[in-house]
Amino acid sequence: MADLSAFTRFARTYQAGEIIFSEYEPGDSFYLIQSGKVRIAKIVGDIEKTIDVLQPPEIFGEMAILEGTPRSATAVAVDTVRVLEFNRANFEVLMMGNPQIALRLLKLFTKRIYDQKRRFMILTLEDPQARVADVFLMLDETQAAATAGAEQDGEKREFKVTIEDVAHWGGMGASEVQTILGHFANQRRVELYPDRVVVRNISDFSRFVNSRRKK
Amino acid sequence: MPKAANYRANSVIYFQGDVISDKIYILQSGQVVVNYTDIETGKDLREVIQTGEFFGVKSALGKYPREENAVVVSDAQVLIFTVPEFEQFVSANTRIILKMLRVFSNQLRRIHKQVENLMEKSEALSPEIGLFRTGEYYLKNRMYSQAKYVFSRYLTYYPAGKLADAASKNLETSESCMVKFGDGKGPSPSVAGPPAGTLSAHPGAGAAPAKPADTLRPQAGQALSDTAKEYYNAVSLFSQEKYKEALGEFKRIVEANQDPEYVVKAAFDMGRSVFMLGQFDAAIAHFTRMVQTYPKHPDLADILYYLGQSYAKKGDVERAKGFFRKILTMEKDEDNSTFLRAKKALRGLEEAQNG
Repeated sequence: MADLSAFTRFARTYQAGEIIFSEYEPGDSFYLIQSGKVRIAKIVGDIEKTIDVLQPPEIFGEMAILEGTPRSATAVAVDTVRVLEFNRANFEVLMMGNPQIALRLLKLFTKRIYDQKRRFMILTLEDPQARVADVFLMLDETQAAATAGAEQDGEKREFKVTIEDVAHWGGMGASEVQTILGHFANQRRVELYPDRVVVRNISDFSRFVNSRRKK
Repeated sequence: MPKAANYRANSVIYFQGDVISDKIYILQSGQVVVNYTDIETGKDLREVIQTGEFFGVKSALGKYPREENAVVVSDAQVLIFTVPEFEQFVSANTRIILKMLRVFSNQLRRIHKQVENLMEKSEALSPEIGLFRTGEYYLKNRMYSQAKYVFSRYLTYYPAGKLADAASKNLETSESCMVKFGDGKGPSPSVAGPPAGTLSAHPGAGAAPAKPADTLRPQAGQALSDTAKEYYNAVSLFSQEKYKEALGEFKRIVEANQDPEYVVKAAFDMGRSVFMLGQFDAAIAHFTRMVQTYPKHPDLADILYYLGQSYAKKGDVERAKGFFRKILTMEKDEDNSTFLRAKKALRGLEEAQNG
């Protein structure tokens, strides 16, 4: 890991359970984990959902680079956490001396840009059924990237998501998503379980979404 | 070591959609343009790559398909880097990374704005209300120290906000519960909500820009009626191929006759469950009654389809064909899945007869 001893003045410590920042709070700093674990969570519907658990030397809160946007999730210390806190004013100093961190941030940005573009593609679909189907295509792309090279079980795909997750990504209400998924289940295109959704034929969804996308 | 390569005018270095995108290029001489479709306007855009400029960076670093075509306009020489070679190169030239960070953060800002504009139409909460709701969640779940943090942040950002009174009450509650019971313990605390009417009556009256009151509507998940929940439980049983259990649940919903929307849906699904259980005579009787009771049922084509299938299973090919043909005359949308299924089933029956 890079030598960060020159940056101790940016160091912060959080105790287990302490919130580092809350969803919806305006944010102007981002964090580099030095020790401990940080849980990233979001309240969806009536449950708090853990999106990720991060550890050294990961970065979080990097979207603060976007002026004035509220935090999109809550960061909570899992155990005693030491972080370096940076903002737009001092981050250039950090980056200049630590190309590895700069590079990590660069990669994070490429991923965020792609995620947002993909999200945009979903939201511009007018047909709500196509939106729901496209959320699964997006999830499939993400899973494929994570398990590159691994064998796929034909056209069948399993997703560990809830209706609230799908509603969140599709920018829709949970009850609308539930109706649509019920309809897909009726057509035997999906199987619904409390903790997951099985898409029986991912190519069928892909054809369906493409037919609904404006050229 | 990065490799030098020469490209002729009019050749393409990479295409939009290329899945193998593990190379990064730098233009040394000649002319290269990248063109792509703007996702917002659908317009074709074109960017000229400057000499000494990198291209193909994002898709290579992010490991996703190429998003643009890189086309050679006049004979060009480029240097080709693998990702590790690129990383090594820029690590020794941090200014390049900083410059790219600036470009990427501008792009991110732009696309983020576009997504937000779309979300605004659909579901987004204003940050003020969102923050308050987050605090409410923690307080309700007796996570007092978290609730304390969130409500005190609310009061820092929105000291004169519409929910400031409620927030300071909740902050007090969090603090006293924390002292009295400790985190995660004690009875469910009473949570102060927004004062009635203040949000809907005067949008814009608060300190922060106000959003229309409908952003405060309860989470849609909670708005589902009990009948709807029972219905989806039954659908989920059906999708797990537990037809007997599903049939029992659908039947209960129909008999309870509470929510007309779901009663009609459940009636249809009862028939499907019977069909899946192989009781074709019962399915025919059930669906025939349905056609008589709900001649304008939204899933009428599906009902006819199951009637057709039930007759086909019983070997009554002519009647089956009649139902499938009827669907084909009713449905105008040829991409409709029932239309396609009916067409396929009809063809299947005809081929079996002729062959």
